[in-house]
Amino acid sequence: MKRIVTLLLFPLVALSPLCASTDDEVAARKTVLDLAGAFSNDGFKLRDGSFSGVIHPKESLFVQVNLYAGNQYWFSVGANEKAKKLAVTIFDETGKAIESEPYQDDAKAAAGFSPDASGAYYIRVQELEGEPANFCLIYSYK
Amino acid sequence: MIFSRSVLFIVLAMFISCGFAASAPKMSSDEMAKAARVDALTIPTPGELMTALNKVGKPNWQQQYRPPIPTAFTSRPQIALNLGGLIADGYLAVEAEDSQQVKNIGKDIVTLAKTLGVSENVLRRGKSITDFAENNEWSALKEELEATQNEVKLAMEEQHDNDLVTLVTLGGWIRGTEVVSGWIAQNYSPAAAKLLRQPAIVSFLRAKIDTLPPKVQSEDVVKGVRKRLVEIEQLVSFPREQTPTVDDVKKLKTAADGLVEEITKK
Repeated sequence: MKRIVTLLLFPLVALSPLCASTDDEVAARKTVLDLAGAFSNDGFKLRDGSFSGVIHPKESLFVQVNLYAGNQYWFSVGANEKAKKLAVTIFDETGKAIESEPYQDDAKAAAGFSPDASGAYYIRVQELEGEPANFCLIYSYK
Repeated sequence: MIFSRSVLFIVLAMFISCGFAASAPKMSSDEMAKAARVDALTIPTPGELMTALNKVGKPNWQQQYRPPIPTAFTSRPQIALNLGGLIADGYLAVEAEDSQQVKNIGKDIVTLAKTLGVSENVLRRGKSITDFAENNEWSALKEELEATQNEVKLAMEEQHDNDLVTLVTLGGWIRGTEVVSGWIAQNYSPAAAKLLRQPAIVSFLRAKIDTLPPKVQSEDVVKGVRKRLVEIEQLVSFPREQTPTVDDVKKLKTAADGLVEEITKK
């Protein structure tokens, strides 16, 4: 059964933008920054904040973001090597999944899209295969 | 295609198909309610709103400048709110590609941060802001401004001033909204007006203010902010399919002006 873990109930999910302190956290952050660097090269600005913590296999974690119509966004997630397959999915404010440009490669994944409407969206991080792992989600926009 | 060729190339080169996500089951209301809200990620920067406005118009950002604000407040919540506002002013100056204004704003940020006792880390950021501004590195400046804001927040947390973090965010958001609604009110278009739809942001900020300690909530500036946010929430909470009229935008601009005035008054 899919486990939904919230920020309030799951203290391992960190709030700080400078959340990387253990080796696993540093590895997750490095992985995601490597991935997001590709988007930065294409003019995407990297947000300084992150959503991070520990994710378990078959687990789904959600974070709410607020986006503007017309902007382009990439949501990138990276984890340490204990995660074998991650996925990122974007949902609109009604909870409906949105079509996005997907990217998935072992312990990193991303989803890109350009919203038609400004407002709240939800980003889901899933660990599809692997062991419990530290993850870090960031986003870029232009 | 919404993304340029180079990004798509990178993506496709490493791509392992996992299908488009649109086929995923709908989120439950419980999942939506319990989704994490993270200040540094859930609330967009003023720069994101300005970037979106650049797509639907050609704003003269310098017209949205305001006179320098006081930097000698004694109320810590008021200092936090104004720090956020100054950071939004920094984004505005970056959009205007005005290096002198960026440097002026950077100096004010450091001055205000000093009064909170969080200046050491911010001083370093202030120096970076000046360096980037002198080299006209506008793209790097946007990231540096957010990093500065997060540095201020981190220093506040280290000083057990966690309560003030939300107020920095709020100060930045309201100043950004004032700037953008001001331009849209003068240069109305339906596409630009629809950018002002931000219901979840105000809801998040109001919820955070409601959890502030009674001592902070009893400060006049916080009481005023709390009251005015109720009106602002209504003005930015229109349905997705609705387009605000020019009068709606003017009402929001007036409300944002009032709140910014409340925050900056001595």
